[in-house]
Amino acid sequence: MGDSSQKQLLEFTTVTYLDPEKSKFSRTPGGFLSLVTEDGREYPRVNLHRAFPFTQTNEFISVRDPEGNEIGIIRSLYDFPREVIKLLEEEMNRRYFAPVITKIYSLKEEFGYTYWDVQTDAGHCRFTARSGSSSFIFITDVRILVVDVDGNRFEIPDFRELDEKSRKKLEILL
Amino acid sequence: MVRLEAIPEYVKKSLAERNVWPASIKLTAGADLSIDGDFCETWIVITDESLVLIRGPVTSSVSFTGTGEKSRTKARESKSWRVDAFETYPLEEVEGLKVENLASSCILILKTKNGEKALCCFTNSHSRKFRLMAKLLDKVKKGEELVDEDFVDDRPLSYCPKCGMLYPDQARPVCPRCLDKRSIFLRVLSFVPRYKVQTTLIILFMLLSSALNLLSPYLGGQVLFDEVLAEGGKYYGRVFEIILVIILARLLSLLISITYARINAGMTAEVIYDLKTEIFSAMQRLSLSFYSRKQTGSLMTRVNSDAMHLQYFFHDGLPYFIVNCVNIIGIGTVMVIMNWKLALMVLIPAPLIVLFLRKSWPKLYALFGRRYRKSSSMNSLLNDTFKGFRVVKAFGKEMREIERFGRANEGVYSVDIGLGNMIHTMFPLVSLGMTLGGIIVWAAGGTQVISGSLSFGTLMTFANYIGMIYGPLEFMTHIVDWWNSCMNSAQRIFEVLDAVPEVTEKPDPVRLPDMKGEIELKNVTFSYEPNKPVLQDINIKIKAGEVIGLVGHSGAGKSTIANLITRLYDVQEGSISIDGINVKDLAIKDLRKQIGMVSQETYLFIGTIAENISYAKPDATMEEIISAAKAANAHEFIMKLPDGYDTRIGTGGRDLSGGERQRISIARAILHDPKILILDEATASVDTDTERQIQEALEKLVKGRTTISIAHRLSTLRNADRLYVLENGKIVEEGTHAELIRARGVYYKLYTKQSEALKMRGVGD
Repeated sequence: MGDSSQKQLLEFTTVTYLDPEKSKFSRTPGGFLSLVTEDGREYPRVNLHRAFPFTQTNEFISVRDPEGNEIGIIRSLYDFPREVIKLLEEEMNRRYFAPVITKIYSLKEEFGYTYWDVQTDAGHCRFTARSGSSSFIFITDVRILVVDVDGNRFEIPDFRELDEKSRKKLEILL
Repeated sequence: MVRLEAIPEYVKKSLAERNVWPASIKLTAGADLSIDGDFCETWIVITDESLVLIRGPVTSSVSFTGTGEKSRTKARESKSWRVDAFETYPLEEVEGLKVENLASSCILILKTKNGEKALCCFTNSHSRKFRLMAKLLDKVKKGEELVDEDFVDDRPLSYCPKCGMLYPDQARPVCPRCLDKRSIFLRVLSFVPRYKVQTTLIILFMLLSSALNLLSPYLGGQVLFDEVLAEGGKYYGRVFEIILVIILARLLSLLISITYARINAGMTAEVIYDLKTEIFSAMQRLSLSFYSRKQTGSLMTRVNSDAMHLQYFFHDGLPYFIVNCVNIIGIGTVMVIMNWKLALMVLIPAPLIVLFLRKSWPKLYALFGRRYRKSSSMNSLLNDTFKGFRVVKAFGKEMREIERFGRANEGVYSVDIGLGNMIHTMFPLVSLGMTLGGIIVWAAGGTQVISGSLSFGTLMTFANYIGMIYGPLEFMTHIVDWWNSCMNSAQRIFEVLDAVPEVTEKPDPVRLPDMKGEIELKNVTFSYEPNKPVLQDINIKIKAGEVIGLVGHSGAGKSTIANLITRLYDVQEGSISIDGINVKDLAIKDLRKQIGMVSQETYLFIGTIAENISYAKPDATMEEIISAAKAANAHEFIMKLPDGYDTRIGTGGRDLSGGERQRISIARAILHDPKILILDEATASVDTDTERQIQEALEKLVKGRTTISIAHRLSTLRNADRLYVLENGKIVEEGTHAELIRARGVYYKLYTKQSEALKMRGVGD
C-alpha cells in the first residue's frame, strides 16, 4: 500500500485544529472571509459551519472551502485576537441568521398551522409555521426553535424569560 | 417587459432618478436581508446593460409566507423608503449570479472577473425567484429575448383571493382563515344521509326519553303529592295506581334508552368503519412525497383519532345538541307555566354557572391537551427504548434509560395532578351553584307553601326540574369547543380526501404492455425540497438489455434517479422516456408492472414467506414461487425453516437475517418478472459470503433485462456495460470499468481507495 494513500487515510480520520496564532483570517473586498493557513495555503473564500449550532455557538467551528471541504476546525473562537473574533462572529451571524423572539404579540393555532406575530431582535415579524413537533423544536428544556413554512428559523433562547403575556400565548404549544 | 417580481412605484422612481429606466429593465427581484443580516428591502435589477442593486433602509417589520399579502405590501412602505445603497455592474463584467444556502437563509453572490462579491441575503421565501434570475441572467447577457417558457418554474405563490393571505400549503389552494366552517359543517352533514335512518331514530328516541323524563317529576311531585296524597285531590287515595303509572313510565323510559343505546353503538362502529376506509383509500392514492412530508405518527393520528372525533359529531354532538335544546326549552316552558316567579329564581345562579364554566373550560382543555402531548412523548420514548434495547444493554445504560423514562413519567404525573385538582375543584363548585338554585327555590317556595299560595307538590316538581335543567346548560357552555375540535378534525380529514396526488396519470395514457426497456434521461433536474437541487442536468441513455451502474458517494443522487424512473416522483425539468415515450404519458399500471426494484431496505409485510414472494403477483402458482426462490438462492434456507414457505415473517413473526430478507425480496422481483430492473444497494448490508450468493442470484435475474444497478461496492459493478459516476447531483464521468480506470479520474480514485481499504482489512479483492 502506498504512502500517499496511508497519508490520505490519516487525513481522513484525524481532526485538524487551526492554530489561532498562525491562521490569518481577513475580509475580502467582495464581503467574504478569506484564510491563509499556517502552512501558507491561501483560501480566497471560506465558510464557517458550527459543529454544535445550538449548544456551542462559539466553539468547534469548522472552516470549509466553498466546495465544502474542511480546512480545519476552530476549537474556540476566543483563542483568536479580538478583531478576528469580530470578523468570525459577523460571518457566523450571517450564516446562522435566526431572529430571536423577544415578545409574542399574537399566536394562534388553527387547522394545522400556527400563526405568529412577534417582536424579534431583527424587527417585527409575522410568519406561519406548521403545527407539530417538526416546526416547534425544543433544543433544550427551555430553548425553542420555530421553523416556518419556508424553513426560516426563529429562536426563543429561554421561554421562561419571556414576559408574562408572551408566555401565556406560548402556553398552547408547550 | 419586467418579469419575476414587480417593483413598487417608489423604487421605480428612485431607479429612474439614477437613470435606470423602466423600459430597459429585464428582470427584477426583491430580497429582504442585507449582507449583515438586517431586514431591509433590496432590489436586484437586470437591464440590457447592467446589473443594479438598490437598497433601502433597515425595516422594522417583515411578513413571511402565509401571513397575508396586504401586510406584506404594508411592510414595504414608501414613506420609509430612501436609497441607502446603489451599485451598478456592467453586464460585460458580470460572469454570473449564484445563490448559496446558508443555515436557514440564502446569500446572493455576484461573480465577476475580479472575483466573487456578496450582494445581499434573503430568507428562504425568496430563494426560488433568485435562482431563476441567476439562470436567466445568462440569456439576457447573450442578448436573447426572454419568453414565457422561461418563467414556467417561477410558479408564483398563490394567494387566497378573499383575504389576500398566502396559502400555507401551496399545493392546496385552501385558505384556512377564510375557509368557511359552515361549509365544512355542511359537508360533514352530507355524510348524514348515509345514516339517515339511524340518526333519525336516535333523535326520535332521545326526544321520547326526554319527554318521559319531563313527565316523571310531574308524576312523582305534583300529581303524587297534590292529587293523590292531599285530601280533596282528584285521585285522592289511589296510591297504588299512581305508583303503577310511575313504574310503567320508568320501564318505558328504560326500554327506550336501551334501544337508543344499541342503535347508537351500531351506528358509531359503522361511521368509524366508513370514515377509516375512506381515509385509508384516499391515502393509498397519494404520491410518495405526501408520505415523506408528513410524519408517520401524524398520519396514523389522522386515520384513527380524527375519524374518532368526527364520529363524535354523529353520535354525540348532533343528537345531544338537538335534544338538549329541546330539553332546555321544554323544562323552561313547563317551569314558567307552573310558576313563573319561581322559574326566574332558579335562573339566578344560572348565569354565574355559565360564566364560571366558560372561564374554566379553556383551562381544562389546555390541561387535557398538555396531558395528551406529555403521554404521547412518553410513548415515543418507550418506543425508542424498546427498539434500541440491544444498544441499551450493550452499553449498560439501563439506569440512564430508567432516569429518562422517569423524567417523562414525571411530566405525565404532574399534569395528571394538575388535571385532577382542576376537575375536583371545578365540578363541585358547579354543583354548589346548582344546589344554590335549589336552595333559593326551597326558601322562596317554602314560604309560599306555608302562606298557602303554592302547593307542596308543585314545589317538589320544581325542585326536580332544577336538577334537570343544569345538565343541558352545562353542555351548551362547551358546545363551541366541541364544534371547533370536530370541525378541525373534519378539515384534516377533508385535506386528505381532497389532496391531489402529485404524480398523476394523463387522462389518455399511452399503453405499453410490452416494453423493450430503453431508457433515456434528458437534462433531468430534480429537487425534493424547493431550492435544494439533488440532480442537475442528468443525461443517461440506456439500450434495452444493458446493465449500467450508478456510482458515487452517498447523497450524490443515485437513488433519486431510481425514484424518478419508477415515477415515484416527477422530474421538474427535462424528461425521462422509456422506449421513446415520456414516462409522464405512460399508463402508470404498465410502468410499474414492468419495473422491478430490489433495494437496500427490504420491506417484508406481515404474512408468510410465500405471500411476501408473490406480493407483486398474487396469483402466482406454488411452482412459480418455488422456482423464483430457487433462482434467488433463497429456497435452501426457506426449506430449513420448520414451517417452510408458510413461515410467518414481518412484525411479530420470525426474525430473518439481512441476507435472507434480501434474497426474499430478490425472489419477489424475479417473480414480478420486470423488463427494467433497478438494484439499489441490493447487497449493501450483507456479509461477503451472502453477497456472493446474492450476486449469483442477481446475475440470473439481470439476464435479458435493462438493469440499473446502484452500488457502493464498486467491485460488484465491474461487469456493467457502462458506469456513470455522480457527484453532487451531476454526472462527472461515464464509461466502462476499464475505461474509467484508464482515465484516472474520480472513479479511479474511488476504486483504489476502496480496494486499498479492503486490503488493509485483509479481505482482498
